Amino acid sequence: MDYKLIYKYFKQTATYKIATGILADLYVFIETIGNIAYNGFHTCKFIIKGDINFKEVIEQCYRFGITSLPITLSIVGMTSVIVASQVASEMVKQGGSNFVGLLMTMLIVREVSAVMSGFAIISMIGSSLASEIATMKVTSQIDAMKVLNIDPIRYLFVPRILAGTMMMPIIVVIAGIVGVLAGAVTAHLSADLGYRAFFDSAWLGVYMKDLGVSLLKALAFGATIALVSCSTGYEATGGAKGVGIATTKAVVWSFVAIVIWDMVFAMVFFF
Amino acid sequence: MSIEVKNLVKQFNDKTVINDVSFKVNDGEVLAIVGFSGSGKSTILKLICELIKKDSGEIITPEGEDIAMVFQYSALFDSLNVADNIAFALHERKDLRNKYSEKDIKHIVAEKLELVGLKGIERKFPAELSGGMQKRVSFARAIVTEPKTILYDEPTAGLDPISSTLIEDYIVRLKEETNAASIVVTHQMSTITRTADKIIMLYDGKIVFTGTPAELLKQDTPYTKQFVTASLEGPMKIAA
Ligand SMILES: Nc1ncnc2c1ncn2[C@@H]1O[C@H](COP(=O)(O)OP(=O)(O)OP(=O)(O)O)[C@@H](O)[C@H]1O
Ligand SMILES: [Mg+2]
Repeated sequence: MDYKLIYKYFKQTATYKIATGILADLYVFIETIGNIAYNGFHTCKFIIKGDINFKEVIEQCYRFGITSLPITLSIVGMTSVIVASQVASEMVKQGGSNFVGLLMTMLIVREVSAVMSGFAIISMIGSSLASEIATMKVTSQIDAMKVLNIDPIRYLFVPRILAGTMMMPIIVVIAGIVGVLAGAVTAHLSADLGYRAFFDSAWLGVYMKDLGVSLLKALAFGATIALVSCSTGYEATGGAKGVGIATTKAVVWSFVAIVIWDMVFAMVFFF
Repeated sequence: MSIEVKNLVKQFNDKTVINDVSFKVNDGEVLAIVGFSGSGKSTILKLICELIKKDSGEIITPEGEDIAMVFQYSALFDSLNVADNIAFALHERKDLRNKYSEKDIKHIVAEKLELVGLKGIERKFPAELSGGMQKRVSFARAIVTEPKTILYDEPTAGLDPISSTLIEDYIVRLKEETNAASIVVTHQMSTITRTADKIIMLYDGKIVFTGTPAELLKQDTPYTKQFVTASLEGPMKIAA
């Protein structure tokens, strides 16, 4: 048998091409996870040692929290309006007026505020973190930093990840409050539900456990978005195209990571 | 401090870009690396300051000493203004972080800017500068820690003749005053003749000429002749 010839023909088959394509994708996938873990580990090392550039942390907190707030609040508020406008009138009709507030707060505290804020932050902050760091990478700014003996992980990653982790819970709390208020107004306008009735039952829907889980989620989301976005930016290669690829990757990976986190939280705390 | 390179080899995706290159730069010496675009000059500098990994060979640089590099495309931090770019190492580097007061730093920055002929542009951002100005700021940033080993990747490319002279004179002055070992990658004749003590010419990953500027100008090898006369005819083919 002429194995060489067989191999040569095998290489031209669709099976071979699909298989190598999948393997290449798998390789990139594992490599990305590896890089995220590696960079995350180094970031933690600096944070644990307390070797932190506080001036940068404050700047990044501002970027994370303040600049994104209008959009984040609008998105959470509108989601709340959408849900309330569909649910409130139906529940009132069915005699469930006393549960509208409860249902809305429960939904908002448990899912809407953290997840929708997460999505808003990914699209605004995650993408900008990734493209910023990717641009620095492809224009040799990261190389310049290394040659000056400054660790890019300490200077770029640590402040951004700390800022993400600290600001996300604050954003989620504010978004939650706005969401509940938007729900109350919507229920009032669409189903003629009194504010008193809404808030009397709203309190019943707030459990300490839910609040705690929501804050934990916010911490996890913030840290994850910042880490994934910085990391994909940091691995960028090539010119403008590389920056584009890194930014897309940051957004996609952050989205997936957040949904996975959300699932993990749901399983651990509410299963 | 001296830099020694022995039998250096570097491949990119099976293409051998640096193929068995050896040279030594002593203290107080400037080595010029010349050669076609794509001949691997920047790659050698990146290998020396460990931005990329070599495949084989040896690079001997002084242990624990700073190596400074002026990048071919400036590589200024575009979110920082000129002053913060120059002072970056003084602000951020572990061993320098708390060494200087803000007043000292301001003073150092002003001094370095004056040196590259750009007095008073501290508050401008890189995007507001011309290419040549960026290059000079990048030069100032690299030398702010007074390194003893300095790599310059085309420090004068794109500069007007007078700014070039300013930079060239400063390369020589740094070498004389601090006894630094430097490598200058350049295409520019004026930079070669004004700064270099030794020259190596790279072609196809190999050294094809070693000598002094005077020897280069003698044009007594096919390679030096082609380089100095900028001729298309000769042993070096641009497509290589
Ligand atoms: N990161 C990389 N990946 C793949 N190939 C590379 C990489 N960096 C450089 N090369 C290749 O190595 C060769 C040498 O590149 P290098 O940048 O060292 O050239 P150079 O001599 O500095 O050229 P120029 O005068 O244009 O600056 C080129 O053929 C280039 O395509
Ligand atoms: Mg080059």
